[in-house]
Amino acid sequence: MAENIQANRDAKHGMALAVTLWAIVLVSVAFFFKYDLPELASNRQSQDTLYYVILGITGVAYVVVHFIFAFYIWKYRHRDDAEGSYWHDSHKLEVTWTIATAVILVPIVFAGLVIWEDVKAAPPEDVFTIEAVGAQFQWDMRYPGPDGEFGAWRPELYSLENYLGIDPDDAAGSDDLHLINQIVLPVDQPVRIMLRSKDVQHAFFLPNFRVKQDVMPGIETSVWFTPTKIGEYEIACAELCGLGHYRMRAFLSIRSQADYDTWLTEQSQAD
Amino acid sequence: MSEGHDDHGHGKQSFISKYIFSYDHKMIAKQYLTLVMFMAVVGGSLAMLVRLQLGWPGQHAQFWETLFPAGMAQGVMTPEFYVMLFTMHGTIMVFFVLSLGPVSGFGNFLIPLQVGARDMAFPFLNMMSFWTALPGAIIILISFFVEGGAAASGWTAYPPLSAIRSAIPGSAMGQTLWIVGMIFFIASFTMGGLNFVVTILNLRTKGLKMMRLPLTTWAQFLVGILGLLAFPALAAGSILLLFDRGLGTSFYLPAGIFIGDTLFPHSGGSPLLWQHLFWFLGHPEVYIIMLPALGFTSDIISTFTRRPIFGYRSMVYAIVAIAMLSFVVWGHHMFVSGMSPFLGTAFTMTTLCIAVPSAVKVFNWLATLWMAKIQFTTPMLFALGIVSLFVTGGLTGIFLGTNVVDIQLHDTYFVVAHFHFIMAGAGLFGLLAAVYYWFPKMFGRHMNETASKVHFWFTFIAYYGVFFPMHYLGIAGMMRRIYDPNTYDYLKPFQNVNTFISISAFILGLAQVIFLANYFWSMFKGKKVESENPWHANTLEWSTPIEPGHGNWPGEIPEVHRWPYDYQNPDEEGDHAPQWQPPAKVKAAK
Repeated sequence: MAENIQANRDAKHGMALAVTLWAIVLVSVAFFFKYDLPELASNRQSQDTLYYVILGITGVAYVVVHFIFAFYIWKYRHRDDAEGSYWHDSHKLEVTWTIATAVILVPIVFAGLVIWEDVKAAPPEDVFTIEAVGAQFQWDMRYPGPDGEFGAWRPELYSLENYLGIDPDDAAGSDDLHLINQIVLPVDQPVRIMLRSKDVQHAFFLPNFRVKQDVMPGIETSVWFTPTKIGEYEIACAELCGLGHYRMRAFLSIRSQADYDTWLTEQSQAD
Repeated sequence: MSEGHDDHGHGKQSFISKYIFSYDHKMIAKQYLTLVMFMAVVGGSLAMLVRLQLGWPGQHAQFWETLFPAGMAQGVMTPEFYVMLFTMHGTIMVFFVLSLGPVSGFGNFLIPLQVGARDMAFPFLNMMSFWTALPGAIIILISFFVEGGAAASGWTAYPPLSAIRSAIPGSAMGQTLWIVGMIFFIASFTMGGLNFVVTILNLRTKGLKMMRLPLTTWAQFLVGILGLLAFPALAAGSILLLFDRGLGTSFYLPAGIFIGDTLFPHSGGSPLLWQHLFWFLGHPEVYIIMLPALGFTSDIISTFTRRPIFGYRSMVYAIVAIAMLSFVVWGHHMFVSGMSPFLGTAFTMTTLCIAVPSAVKVFNWLATLWMAKIQFTTPMLFALGIVSLFVTGGLTGIFLGTNVVDIQLHDTYFVVAHFHFIMAGAGLFGLLAAVYYWFPKMFGRHMNETASKVHFWFTFIAYYGVFFPMHYLGIAGMMRRIYDPNTYDYLKPFQNVNTFISISAFILGLAQVIFLANYFWSMFKGKKVESENPWHANTLEWSTPIEPGHGNWPGEIPEVHRWPYDYQNPDEEGDHAPQWQPPAKVKAAK
């Protein structure tokens, strides 16, 4: 038995582990400078700020803890003449690092609460409302048209032709604009998107806009944000919704007010 | 010292009562571990296929058609097949590997040995527990071969996908079998939990106060309580789901669901209800997987640093706190579900509280390493690996626990990375560390040292290689559970990361073959253990004979005189004083 323990004392694995840990930390942190969030195109800057703050704090913790950890592994790898220690308790230390951890977390929690309240607050008065309906596997978008009101819909009217179950007798619906897998919006105009699902759970995800909201049958949810950058973006489904989940993709085009107006006129003429 | 196969008055046992319907907690533990290894091979292979698709999406290789004529027709994986793969990977790994292994396997093996009991409190219930888990596993495995294939609604089984048969092919017979298999699993786990709690409370040997329990047993005690309180919620939830599927009820199904060309007649239910019930179990389940691993880590680190664990009392408080908090954080899985924003606020606060006891554990481990005399045995290497994975995964939890930051990262690969470090990583490494550490006690033999070390190095490095880059993918916005990320233009630049991850995953998978071969080879051919306490450890299981019989100790159960971490005690001779060793000098009773 003795020789077995002896073999295990072999410290080269400890040195290798210390070096490996340092290397992992170095490489993994370096890549955070290469990989970043997608380009921000909405007013949700504060979400990103908190992300970077947490990235900084946890990054430091990751590096420091791993550094000490690997250093101890290196330094206290077994040597026969080494001195041991029975020291195993310190009320002062325990209290210190418990409180220190809590103190670091409290500002994160509070910053989070304030920003969360902003994100979840009611939209501004001048918000423009559209509707997105998730179904296996496409997004059906509805604009309220010049009258600013959506036509009524009822599930009993769902059919392969009347895909959204629109009530043909409701006058408010006559000028509604329907688009499949596509939204066009003017820049700098707050927009609210009402979300519902016809079948299973989906999630409406706008990677560049820091927007994600589950879309559920039976529950209408909504998100609002202000696009701040003109460009072409992608809309994704982020909740497993079936075998075509991966291709439930749509497009979001942010245009200048003038370009948007032109587009809107073209659309109503096409009808 | 070494009358190995003593039956302690149980007489000669038949093959069936010794190896099959055994009441002996040690045999039941081995039965569990055998089942776990088989399920791990299945669950791991599913992951390999997932990575095959993500590493080289849509690649054509005729060879696969012979293996999976439907799922990979013409050698290309179908989306239905892919969805089934990750659903069953998650289900099998979470429940049938990482719960059954460290908890049902090692909990059973260690609890009576560490508390000084002849067996579990209810040996018959213990046997029943295994013979309920096994049919559950078999039902899950059979579900691969029914029409429509196995369940395909994710391991979380969110309705309506899991409730309506026409929603996805796997929602036919496969999903029903998934639910039935889960109910068997839950029944088994509840029986086990009851045994754990009662045994630890009532059958401790003389002198073994609760605050003298090894941290492994403390963890198993809490796991028993968590299982008893949390799993019934999923059992009830699953039965309601079964009703929705078969009896036309509407617990989870609202009015107006339209799939194919059919409007479903349900009304009044809510899919959010399932999410609440599922995660009320789901979050404690994460700790059911993790706590035993953290217990193993503490015990193994103490043994091989030849140091007492630092801050034993605060370690106990920390896991008690984590266990209690685990019941009030489930909503952090639902920040973007549409539940009340006030709940989002509340769950952020409770969730980030968990960081405090978790950090305390890490600091205590670091302090244990200070002035240590570290022996780099294989179990020690894995235990140190757990500390690293726990730090990495714990820190990413702060991103996801903060509701505002979670909005962007929710349901992306950042989450996949996070839970593979903290839950799956700690769980897997814990299971492996435990096998390496207690193998001599289980089989009276040592595992092959070289193969063990090779296994560690490939596993540890490949593990980081697989799961760390997933953080980058998540930050870049890659969603979970998508069959082909290249569908999206913004994800195309990251295909090289996915390919790298897949190659690392195959290395990780192959490394486990070394382990399995070593395990089964060493069971019969490994070097024989020469003393009952080969690691010179302090806990009670090492006072049993090299191969303990049913009843564990041939004579009387030893009395416990001290806490389990008396290494380097200046009042004692030698570098360690086991729990059963009476004090050298009885200190002047003050």
